[in-house]
Amino acid sequence: MEIEIISFGQIAEFISNQKIEVDGIADTDAFKQYLEDRFPTLKGIKYKLALNKNIVQQNTEIENQATVAIMPPFSGG
Amino acid sequence: MSAARYNRQIILKGFGEEAQQKLLRAKVLIIGAGGLGCPALQYLAAAGIGHIGIVDDDTVSLSNLHRQILFTTADIGKLKVEVAAKRLQEMNPQIGIIRHPIRLQKNNIIDIISRYDYILDGTDNFESRYLINDACALLNKPLIFAAVSGFEGQLAIFSSSDHLTPGTNYRDIFPIPPDKGEIPNCTENGIIGVLPGVLGTMAAAEAIKLIAKIGQPLTNKILSYNLLTQEQYTINISHGDDYTLPKTVDEFLNMDYQDTSEVPQGYIEIDAEEMVKLQQLDSTILIDVRERHEVPVLDKQIFTQVPMSEFGTFMSKEFYQKHVVLICQHGIRSVAAAETMQEKYGDAKKIYSLKGGIIKWRDHFLKS
Repeated sequence: MEIEIISFGQIAEFISNQKIEVDGIADTDAFKQYLEDRFPTLKGIKYKLALNKNIVQQNTEIENQATVAIMPPFSGG
Repeated sequence: MSAARYNRQIILKGFGEEAQQKLLRAKVLIIGAGGLGCPALQYLAAAGIGHIGIVDDDTVSLSNLHRQILFTTADIGKLKVEVAAKRLQEMNPQIGIIRHPIRLQKNNIIDIISRYDYILDGTDNFESRYLINDACALLNKPLIFAAVSGFEGQLAIFSSSDHLTPGTNYRDIFPIPPDKGEIPNCTENGIIGVLPGVLGTMAAAEAIKLIAKIGQPLTNKILSYNLLTQEQYTINISHGDDYTLPKTVDEFLNMDYQDTSEVPQGYIEIDAEEMVKLQQLDSTILIDVRERHEVPVLDKQIFTQVPMSEFGTFMSKEFYQKHVVLICQHGIRSVAAAETMQEKYGDAKKIYSLKGGIIKWRDHFLKS
């Protein structure tokens, strides 16, 4: 199935906005594991996922053509 | 009361006299008179917010001026709240401006924010952001949150209910603060002046919408803004269950906000001269914690490269040197590294951080 990734801040430096074709990823927990395996730098950073523009607070099913945003915290002013 | 001053927004369809009266009755606290705070203050003062408080304990410095547009070159060295209050009062003498030349901490924040109806967070560090978030959640004060990094910004409204969801807070997105050095800040990473200008102005717009009850403020939403593409992406925030907020003032006072004034430091901050002395000892290792792409490039025979992103791996190994001198561009990440090392080694090693970093001692590094 196809998942669109949108990333922000320093995460965009190593995960660019892209559409990926993946199989066997049913939910956000599995997708998180996939991201951290493929982009190990992500493991060292605090970030939050949003699925189709909604913050992911617990494991949620991912459907084909979903959009997942990956957002780090910003503190600058 | 001069209606002429606000005439153009009073005659605006969808705003009007009633909205203007709401602004005039509002009390807004702006925390941080920096890149975000300056434009927010200017527009809120001009729009006729009746009482504006400004919190900042810092003075104006030359490197502030490209983005903190309330200040002039002649203001360098002066307290930001004094300069800002004076200029804003000249711009709009009809409103009240209250100076708070202090740093907000656990023991004073509750008292100060209790006096205001709306809080705007334009600070520049995570300690302050979590402190302000928790205090606003505790007191149920609507919090307009703006933050920048690189060419991007984030904007949100917390602790303010909409008709669907009771107010969310920053911890619903990021339950715990990042470790020091995990996320780069403006001093380390740089910032283009216009970006906090855009975000600070957007934050002022959200404050005005919230107070005047017009449009759809970003309540329970976080907006990401990208200056390079002019793209915006808005995410709905829901309540998380993986954190605890202080529910009483006593609980709040017992929270740990990594207030540097409360924690005794075990490492020592040194100047370049002391670094040279230590360098001559066989038992000294000099570590450059900057990322590999950063310039100036230092002599790798003298400075061992351990970028912050690889620091964890380095810390899992042992090394023999007893004296450890950590350096980076500005002496901020090296302090974070020093704290981490201090935690692991305690008195077993002597940990030093070069204060002001390579930039401050540029001459020394360029000649060697």
